[in-house]
Amino acid sequence: MLTCKQFDEFMADYLGDGLPIWQKYMCWLHVKMCRECAYFMQQYRKTIALGKNAFESPDDAVPDSVPEELVKAAMAHRKSR
Amino acid sequence: MTHAQDVITESEIAGQLEIACESRTSDAEAVLIHSLRSREDSGYETLVRSYGPLVMATANRYLRSQDDAADCFQDTFIAIFESIDSFQGRSPFRFWVRGVTINQCLMTLRKRKRRREESIEHMLPMFNDRGRRIEVASPRQKSEIGESLDAEQRRQVVRENIDRLPDKYRLVLLLRDIDGYSTREAASILGIEVNAVKTRLHRARSALKHMLEQTIDWKHCHVDV
Repeated sequence: MLTCKQFDEFMADYLGDGLPIWQKYMCWLHVKMCRECAYFMQQYRKTIALGKNAFESPDDAVPDSVPEELVKAAMAHRKSR
Repeated sequence: MTHAQDVITESEIAGQLEIACESRTSDAEAVLIHSLRSREDSGYETLVRSYGPLVMATANRYLRSQDDAADCFQDTFIAIFESIDSFQGRSPFRFWVRGVTINQCLMTLRKRKRRREESIEHMLPMFNDRGRRIEVASPRQKSEIGESLDAEQRRQVVRENIDRLPDKYRLVLLLRDIDGYSTREAASILGIEVNAVKTRLHRARSALKHMLEQTIDWKHCHVDV
């Protein structure tokens, strides 16, 4: 059976479906047998989801427009080259 | 500009439609791309107005500084204009614009004086001699919002903590988890090995998890995973 340290090294690939079937099985088995790693992985998955969610807020959505002075500066920047 | 110069020939339209079909580029985008390739001033202004918000939001996310983002904004549009012929329509135009923006941000970060960054070593998982996980309880910060973060406060906390990560980890996390690039694409953008991306991503997520534990109560944190 994998140690926790070995499992930790595989965790990102395990969650990302990037492991060969036998390694995936070894990881699955480790999670079934190890409460600490199962708990860690649950929080790790929440962390990934929170990261994605943090930039999906309406406040972070791409705004409708940018300030006019920025547009003018970009136009002037091109003409100056 | 004369009317004749305004008219796009049938073969040009066919070419643009081919791009549109291949990449689901909209008709408006196809016209814009044609205009940029013709080096028209009006095309440049449309580009800045239409894609300015996307470029600004991306630059703010990667650079963490509004001044740097504003400088990067101008350089990005020059870069888009100068490299428009390299756009082959294999990905949606806005993805390509975002990629050019990210490249400009990375160039800005390389030029910028390195800021003092917090080490993440103490935030990574620890193991004993037999490879068994050692659980280290992280101290919860007593804050006014600690126990009762609403959705927006929680997003803010997560964004602030992502910003605390050293650039080498933060950039991989943004590319992979936020902007959805593959491991191989992230490696290519950053000019590092695929395995380095994997290692940095895992360390970035682990450190972020550790930081979030100080303000977020996992038991009451409901989020779709």
